[in-house]
Amino acid sequence: MLSRNAQGLYWISRYLERAQHGCRLLADQLRTLEDRPVEEIDQTWRRLYASLDREPVGGSLESNLDDEDFMLADSYTLADDLTFESSNPDSILNCIATARENARQVRNVISKDMWYCLNVAYLKLSKVGIADIWDDRPGDFYLHAEDTIRTFSGIVDSTVYRDDSWHFIQLGRFVERVQLLAALIEAQLTVFPLTEAHVEPEWRSLLEVCEARGTFSRRYSLEYRPVNVINFLVSDLRLSRSIRYALARIVTALDRVSEKRPAREARRLAGHMAAYIDFDWPSHNLNDTDATRTVLRELRDRSRRVHDNIEITYFGYEIEDTPGT
Amino acid sequence: MNREPEAHLRTGALDPAKPASLFSNYEVDPVFYDEMFSAPGVPREHCKALWEHLGRMSSADIAALQDRTEQSFLHEGITFSVYGDESAQERIIPIDLLPRVLDAGEWGQIERGLRQRLHALNLFLADIYAKEPAQILSDGIVPADLVYGCPQYRTQMRGLRVPLGIHVFLCGTDLVRTHDGFMVLEDNLRVPSGVSYMLANRRALKTSMRNLFRLHKVCGVEQYGKLLRKTLAEFAPTGVADPCIVLLTPGVYNSAYYEHMFLAREMGVELVQGKDLLVHNGFVYMRTTEGLQRVDVIYRRIDDDYIDPLAFRQDSQLGTPGLFYAYRMGNVAIANAPGTGVADDKSLYAYVPDIIRYYLNEEPLLANVETHLCREPEGLEYTLDNLQDLIVKVVGGSGGYGMLVGPHASADERAAYAAEIRKNPANYVSQPTLNLSRAPCLTDEGAAPRHVDLRPFVLCGQETRLVPGAFCRVALRPGSLVVNSSQGGGGKDLWVLPP
Repeated sequence: MLSRNAQGLYWISRYLERAQHGCRLLADQLRTLEDRPVEEIDQTWRRLYASLDREPVGGSLESNLDDEDFMLADSYTLADDLTFESSNPDSILNCIATARENARQVRNVISKDMWYCLNVAYLKLSKVGIADIWDDRPGDFYLHAEDTIRTFSGIVDSTVYRDDSWHFIQLGRFVERVQLLAALIEAQLTVFPLTEAHVEPEWRSLLEVCEARGTFSRRYSLEYRPVNVINFLVSDLRLSRSIRYALARIVTALDRVSEKRPAREARRLAGHMAAYIDFDWPSHNLNDTDATRTVLRELRDRSRRVHDNIEITYFGYEIEDTPGT
Repeated sequence: MNREPEAHLRTGALDPAKPASLFSNYEVDPVFYDEMFSAPGVPREHCKALWEHLGRMSSADIAALQDRTEQSFLHEGITFSVYGDESAQERIIPIDLLPRVLDAGEWGQIERGLRQRLHALNLFLADIYAKEPAQILSDGIVPADLVYGCPQYRTQMRGLRVPLGIHVFLCGTDLVRTHDGFMVLEDNLRVPSGVSYMLANRRALKTSMRNLFRLHKVCGVEQYGKLLRKTLAEFAPTGVADPCIVLLTPGVYNSAYYEHMFLAREMGVELVQGKDLLVHNGFVYMRTTEGLQRVDVIYRRIDDDYIDPLAFRQDSQLGTPGLFYAYRMGNVAIANAPGTGVADDKSLYAYVPDIIRYYLNEEPLLANVETHLCREPEGLEYTLDNLQDLIVKVVGGSGGYGMLVGPHASADERAAYAAEIRKNPANYVSQPTLNLSRAPCLTDEGAAPRHVDLRPFVLCGQETRLVPGAFCRVALRPGSLVVNSSQGGGGKDLWVLPP
């Protein structure tokens, strides 16, 4: 497969994974707004911004909560920033626009339905702004946007030939998922350190964002103990939004993609992370916030290196000789 | 299941209470050849069935179909970009749903004429690039400076043996019709575009007017992709049995990107950009996830200048360094060959009838439009004296950019343009304002006449092939003669009926 096409497919699915994650975060955030005190709204915005490595507009992640100056409670502005802001490359609109732009580049190798779904989604989304969605149940907007992305995934599942196209789509989706999850859980620990008495709604909402609350309550209990929540989201191989599950999918894709040209370093790193979670997690007391954060940061770094190795092996490899003249 | 909307549409379409409402205000002006009517209210024989059928539909029904079709074009992304228009990067080419119909006799005449013309132009290109001076120049048929002085003449191509001896594997000739018959307006021999719209318009018509379509037994055009691939494969280097064909595009920002994507898909070949290719030891490769893969035939949709920064423009970011070297070595085919633009130059155009007579010893089957070359004193004088009646074109220009439509320009515009002509006469040619034929198009007031032309596509490999169809362009503004997509033109389906 043409390298540029593989790269296009990889980025389409990375950006859509990112957009979907954004939709889930914001849908959850706006649900929170309905009945929570303003401090908690402030805190969940902090978690959200910290997990996206972005400074909130009009406030700072460093500002002191004791000031009773809840700068981060201006939800309208913050939601706009994360949804429509054109200067924010990771706003939901920009993610979908970038995914579509990549799809335009590789339109001749994707199914017509994939293109159609993404193009229509973009055309619709680009016509609305925060003011249009805010007054009347803004949460619905995110649910709807997420539905579209899910429809796209369904079309991918049912139309993509299981050759390299498929494997690069999987790689994009799950490399992104590892990074997003590791960042989110790390941010959760930053805003809600484990040493303090845990605030149950915040841990429940973390599960909500990861589509895991129902399963969690069946698997564990209705008591959302932070240690159990983290354990579940990191190490459970059966949960599709867990780090371990995403790693398994990366390993499978790397084993099947382009047999003539294996990405050995990426495969080693992904296998290593999976084995670490299987056998050494948690090697520390999970109640130790700093130690857990360090592990999560390490997982993020390694998944970035997985990306770098995929990039250099398949998309932008060097050619030894110069062209003839 | 609720079938109501469709049922409603159907009764609307056959409502006897509003007969022929679509054509009730249609004007037939005897000055212009009308594609559908021989006289007011009298359809031409081969358009009769269509006229009767359309007449039973109300304007509102067709307008609804029209809206739906345009919406589907936008959603499918059947778009083009207009340079210099930042606000609307992607636009659809407006489609008009009323088809233009040619009978078998008319098409046969066009087909024979186009085959003859392309054959002669290929012989001309082979001649002028084979040796110097070329035979036709020594014999004084075409002025030598018109060839060697043309910016599209590529010295790099001199003495180079192109595969099959064919320089132009694909041309898209613009034809117009007046009461005097069909005429060639322009030969597009570099990277002609528009064929995807021929196919998209056909598909749209087939979807929205299924019954009508079936009734007419319209000749198919869907085999174009297959013929294109077959023709390209014939250019493969010797010994390559199953050639790797690619379509080389400048990328998504090119105005015709949709078409590039569409054709790559129709042919089942890779759509590549210059940066996907590289030249190694005189062979061309593309970068794949499994390593380098050799490329044998390149259908390039990039202008000559940008193909290879080592051979042509050094600042090109679009091409591939070394590509021309691989081509010279015979290790890859580039189609169309570089340097074909010398034969579709607007000054050279005036000599094409003589070129046909010279090489084929036949009379041209398709006429030229009378053309005055400003490079010649008589031509310049005539042009400047009659500017208000003429269309003036820039030699080497395309897409309708830079032209003057004398009758529609103000006195000031004409004066300014005349000054430009005087500065560099050789850069201009003029032609009389033609009474281009008109065909019914859908407007808010029902069907109304608009000027049309047509661009059939001719493929030339081991044999010459063309599908019975064309990209039919329409000047959507009332009275306008300019059909270019970049200048507010649209398209419609062209039907060729079987004998």
